[in-house]
Amino acid sequence: MELNKNKFFKKWIKNAWPYITGAVLLSLFQIVMLASTGNPWGITATLANWGAWIFQKIGGSPEQWYYFNRPEIQSSFEAGFFNDPGSFLNLGIILGALLATLLASQFKIRKIKSKKQVVTAILGGLLMGYGARIAFGCNIGALFSGISSLSVSGWVFALFLFWGAIAGGRLLKRFFL
Amino acid sequence: MLDERSDITPGVSLTQSKSVKKAKKNQLPFGIGLFILIFLIGIHLSDVSSKLGLYWLIGNCLGFILEKSRFCFSAAIRDPYLTGSTSLTRALLIAVAITSIGFTAIKYGAFISGQPIPGQSYIVPVSFTTAAGAFLFGIGMVISGGCASGTLMRVGEGCQMQIISLLFFIIGSLWGAHDWDWWNRNFIMKGKSIFMPDIFGWFGAIFIQLLIIALLYIAADKWEKIKLGGND
Repeated sequence: MELNKNKFFKKWIKNAWPYITGAVLLSLFQIVMLASTGNPWGITATLANWGAWIFQKIGGSPEQWYYFNRPEIQSSFEAGFFNDPGSFLNLGIILGALLATLLASQFKIRKIKSKKQVVTAILGGLLMGYGARIAFGCNIGALFSGISSLSVSGWVFALFLFWGAIAGGRLLKRFFL
Repeated sequence: MLDERSDITPGVSLTQSKSVKKAKKNQLPFGIGLFILIFLIGIHLSDVSSKLGLYWLIGNCLGFILEKSRFCFSAAIRDPYLTGSTSLTRALLIAVAITSIGFTAIKYGAFISGQPIPGQSYIVPVSFTTAAGAFLFGIGMVISGGCASGTLMRVGEGCQMQIISLLFFIIGSLWGAHDWDWWNRNFIMKGKSIFMPDIFGWFGAIFIQLLIIALLYIAADKWEKIKLGGND
């Protein structure tokens, strides 16, 4: 296809971008977020809402928990999925990544290769979900947004995140690789 | 073309990196179709509320950027220890530096015109919970092969493992929300939120921040040279 030989297509659609390009563009969109929405980028608070809404559908009552009555959380929680900007942000990230993958013809269902992968996915997911909730966010919210907001909490998060990553690396080497 | 893939997949040996994706067939038509779909959804959401449309737009852009630049935040933290590579770490430091400058400018502008400072939601109390949560998150992101943004990105790429990871991320988040009250009563509410300009002034704060980032950058650069040697 002629397109594959086009310089612009190759550089921006087909090939991977350098990390520095990502760094600059992600920063740009962080600033766009803050300037246009009044809030920096975050992912995990929305995931807790997703969990709560699903839990409600199967009969649970998370609305009785202290967390979902916090002023910062309550309005988005009560507004529901279809009115939640954060939900569309997260879904957008998935589709944006999918779009980039398809345009570069790199989409492929990457199957799970072993039981160990399932165990690490389950354990890792639980740890991340729990840790992010109590630490007010993840690499994006607590670290990227937190530090960039000139909050000492961001730096403290980064420090212990780094140690946790080392511990995780040791676990991986010992049990899962 | 050598793609820097810094993904570590459990169950697959460390020396065997994730296979470079080969173009199986031309997926461009699907991509264009998806683009149109994303666009139409955006139009619909904007009709409901401009805020929803805006978040949808930003989300898609972020997902696109993350994927194209293979920007894995968890690898940025993990690789210095696991492989010795700090290229992502250094890119992350640059991102934090640029974002810090932009955020501070916006916040300062609001401050001096007497308006409430926007985006303070991540200025949160520093307490044992910050440490515990970060530590747990660090373990989780390394063993599952991606943090929140990485997981969403890889779901978009077609990775089955990350779909499971996302599902349990949601469950873990709910569990954390359930326990939040306990953590708050015992630790969080006893902690202090520290906004650096309150201590160092606006210019002092951004200067110290950029200084720390610069020092970390130099350290990361040296680290990779020590661990991997020679060329970048």
